[in-house]
Amino acid sequence: MGILETKFLSHDFDGFKVLTDVNLEIREGERHAIIGPNGAGKTTLFNVITGAYNPKEGSIFFKGKDVTGMKPYQLARMGLGRSFQITSTFLRQTAFQNIRLAVLSKRQIRYNLFRRIDTMREVTEETEAILHQINLYEERHALTSSLSYGKQRSLELGMAIGTDPDLLMFDEPTAGMSREETHYAVRLIRKLTEGKSMVIVEHDMDVVFSLADRITVLHHGRILATGEPDAIKKDQQVKSAYLGDTEV
Amino acid sequence: MTRLKNWIPWLLLIGFVLVYPMVFGIVLTNLFVRFAIFAVFAASLNMLLSFTGLLSFGHAMFFGVGGYATALALENIPGLGLMTCMAIGGLSSSLLALIVSPILVRVKDTAFALLTLALGQILFLACLKLRGITHGEDGVGGFPIPPFRIPGFLSIDMGHPQSFYYFAVAVCALSLFLMWYATRTPFGSIMAGIRDNQLRVNYLGFNIAVTKTIMFLISGCFAGVAGALFALFQNLVSPDGVFSVMTSFTPIMMVFVGGIGTFAGPIIGSAVLTSLEDLATRYTEQILLINGLLLICVVIFFRGGFIGLFKTIKQKRFANSREMPDGHPGDEISIP
Repeated sequence: MGILETKFLSHDFDGFKVLTDVNLEIREGERHAIIGPNGAGKTTLFNVITGAYNPKEGSIFFKGKDVTGMKPYQLARMGLGRSFQITSTFLRQTAFQNIRLAVLSKRQIRYNLFRRIDTMREVTEETEAILHQINLYEERHALTSSLSYGKQRSLELGMAIGTDPDLLMFDEPTAGMSREETHYAVRLIRKLTEGKSMVIVEHDMDVVFSLADRITVLHHGRILATGEPDAIKKDQQVKSAYLGDTEV
Repeated sequence: MTRLKNWIPWLLLIGFVLVYPMVFGIVLTNLFVRFAIFAVFAASLNMLLSFTGLLSFGHAMFFGVGGYATALALENIPGLGLMTCMAIGGLSSSLLALIVSPILVRVKDTAFALLTLALGQILFLACLKLRGITHGEDGVGGFPIPPFRIPGFLSIDMGHPQSFYYFAVAVCALSLFLMWYATRTPFGSIMAGIRDNQLRVNYLGFNIAVTKTIMFLISGCFAGVAGALFALFQNLVSPDGVFSVMTSFTPIMMVFVGGIGTFAGPIIGSAVLTSLEDLATRYTEQILLINGLLLICVVIFFRGGFIGLFKTIKQKRFANSREMPDGHPGDEISIP
C-alpha cells in the first residue's frame, strides 16, 4: 500500500463535476507529478487531499489510515506537508520567524505559555539549519515582505519541509518564476525532498520531467494515465489530450 | 555592565511608582490607579487586536463581568479576601470567554467586531433587566472592601487611597508582565501567525479554534481583573459605568492613541487619555469631543500613535537599519 491513496474520489461544485472516480496511489519515497491541461481538476484534487474541502464521494487513505474529511491541521500533524501556489507566508514577520513556526509544529510545541521562545535553543538551532538549507540564513532577520519573489518561494518551501512531513505536496512551486529561478527551485526541491515522498502539481513540463519518478495525467477530472515519464511521453491518449499542443 | 544598564530604567520606574503617592497627593494618586486599571484593560484588548488581529467592540463585557462578579461576591459573601476577589474577577470573565468562544472562533474581521458588539450589548441589557441580581441601573455599590491580609503576618486596610494605590499598581504591573510574557512564548508566536495568515497556521498543524479560545480566556481574564480592580476602586459598578459601549470603546482608543501593533501602546494610550480626561474635565464637560479630536489627529497624522511618533522622530535623528531585531513577531510591526 502506498503512503497516500485515493479510492473513487469524486468532487463537484454545485453539480459541476470536477473529479470523477480518481484512484491515485503515491508510493513511499517517490516523487509523483500530477499534470493535466487547465481545468483538469489538479488543484481541486490537491485541495481535497490536503483537507481544504471534503470530497463528495470516495475516500482518502494516508499511511494506511482513512483520513477522509479530516481538517488540515489534523493531516499536518499526521505528517502531510504542503506548499501553496500563491505564496502563503507571514509577510510581516522575519524569515526566521516564518520557519520557526513550522519547527514549533514539528516539535509539537503548541500551547506553551511558560517558556520564552527565544530561550528554546533547540528550536532556534533547527530553524537556522533549515534556513541554511534553503539558502536564506543571511537574510534570516529580514522581513519576509522585503525578500525577492524567488526568496519568498524558497521560504514557502522551507516552511513546508520545516514540519518534517512524511509526504510533501507542492502546488506549482515554480509558478511565476523566471527560467533561472525555476532551475534553482528544481535543484532546491530535489535536495529538500531527498528520500521523501512527494507530490507535485505543475504546469512546467521541464520541471515535471526532470523531477518526477512517476506521473499521473488528469483530464476532465479523470485519471487518463499513470506511469513513468517515458511511458507517459509515449502514451497516445495523453498526447492527444495534453502533450499534443506543447513541445516536449 | 550592559545587563546592569538595561535594568537602570526599570529601577528608576519602580522607584518613581513607589514614591509617587507620597509626592503627589490623593487626587493624582487616584488618577494613577485609574491609568493603571485602564492600561491593563486596554492591554487585554490589545492582546486580541495587535497580537491576534481581532478587533473586539464588546470588550466591556469582560470588564463588566469581572467588576460585577467581584462586587456581588463582596456584597453577598462575608469575609471574602482581597486576592479571592481578584481571582473571582478574572475567572468569571474567563468563564464568559469560554462560553462565547465557540461562536467567536468561527468569525474574524468585521463579523468578529460586530459579534462582540452584539454580545456586549446583550450583557449590558441583561445587567439592566436582571434587577433581582444586579439592582438594575443603580448598580452594585457600597460593598465592603476587604483588607489586604497575609494571615498571622499583616493586614492593610484598603480604604486608604495610598494603600489601595500600591495594591492596584502591583496587580496591574503583574498583569501587564504576564500578558507581555505570553506574547514571547511559543503560544504568542502562533497567535502572531494567526494574525498574519490563519490559513497557513492551520496547514502547519495548529488548531485555530483551540488557540483562539485560549487567547480569549487570557484576554478575558485580564479584562476581568481590571474590572475587579475598578469595582474596588470606585466601590460601585453600574451598567453605564462598566458595560456600556463607551466602556468598550475606551480601550480601543487607548490602543490607537498609544500605538497599535506594540505592547506598550495601550499603556501609553491609557496614560495620555486618562490624564487628558483629568485635565479637560477641569475646564469643560465635553471630554468626548476632545477625545474624538485626538483620535482623528492620530488616524490622519500619526497612525502609529504616540509610539509611532517617537519612532519617526528617533529614526529621523538616528538613521536606523531596516533589519528586524532578533526576537518576536508582534513588536515593531504596525497594523495597516
